[in-house]
Amino acid sequence: MQSPLMPEFFALLGIDVFLAISLITCLLDRRFPKAIPYIYQVAALAGFAHLFISKEFMTLFGDYMRFWYCLIYLVIALGNVIAVNVYLAFQKGMWRLARGFLGVITFPVVLVSVFFVLDYANSVTSSVFLFPRLPLDTIFLVLLVCAVFLGIGVFASLRQKTKKMREEEVR
Amino acid sequence: MNVKKVLSRKPLKFLSLLLTSMFIASASAAVYYSITLQPAVTISEASIKFVSGNDWPNGSTLGTNGTFVILALKAYPNATLTYDDPLNISNTDASNPHQFRLRHVSITPATGNQQVSNFTFINFVVKNKAGASQASFNYTTSTDTWNTPSSTSYLEVPASTMWIIYVETKAAAGATKDLVATIKISVDVLE
Repeated sequence: MQSPLMPEFFALLGIDVFLAISLITCLLDRRFPKAIPYIYQVAALAGFAHLFISKEFMTLFGDYMRFWYCLIYLVIALGNVIAVNVYLAFQKGMWRLARGFLGVITFPVVLVSVFFVLDYANSVTSSVFLFPRLPLDTIFLVLLVCAVFLGIGVFASLRQKTKKMREEEVR
Repeated sequence: MNVKKVLSRKPLKFLSLLLTSMFIASASAAVYYSITLQPAVTISEASIKFVSGNDWPNGSTLGTNGTFVILALKAYPNATLTYDDPLNISNTDASNPHQFRLRHVSITPATGNQQVSNFTFINFVVKNKAGASQASFNYTTSTDTWNTPSSTSYLEVPASTMWIIYVETKAAAGATKDLVATIKISVDVLE
């Protein structure tokens, strides 16, 4: 069965990921260098240009090539999300914020992206893409896993906060 | 108030980034949407096409790919002329049956023209491979009026099978010689 997705969907997803981390880094501006949100905006703009060029030369590039360059862009975007997470955890030592970031942003974004990539790979000849098969119906399962992970993250961070508040009260 | 100071404020910075983000996201989505709307049209052989029959009338034309045909039929005054096998309808699909129907498009001379009364009937009969009638598509006249047939029901031609279009014509007694009736019939095919 042909996938309802086009390879350019991954570029679109990558653009949205870049825009989302641009806004998040803007909200957390004290923790990041000032230029970071703008750099991510430029990266999203580059993705837009890449999408536009891909549209114009669609017949020239085959499905295989389009898939790979769009996937690479998405991987770069996801790499930046992970890098932001790692930066918060190790460079800034903000473990609680990093944990929250992991549960709320990094994990769902990576999981949803992986899900879409696997679904697309399903629809293409298996000899071309060596990805495991995953039906589109499992989206509910993916969302459930995201929600559970988010819940655990929120619970863990709230428990730590209440623990600290109690300690302060005791003092 | 210092403009530089105002611009560096967090809400304003966030708002500007939000606006550009919305612009980039919607423009990208529009480009993606336009990509998904690019249809790829592949030219392929028609699944149902015309093939000339054993009784192919002289002066008739069969289109290069069998997708259209112009039949030059005769009609004799007060006598029924029969074309047993002038034209065939072939299902070129080797694995799937296909359905088609005959639909009237136009006829000249038009109703109201005195020339119409020169014709009695022009009947197209769809017959299967065994020669059994499947549908009749009959043009009859009542003085200057054509009684055009309604579309046939969809007829299913089995895979790799050829059906026959059998034709009967008749002109009125004392009909004027060399008058021509031109009929346009559409063959609607369900792919």
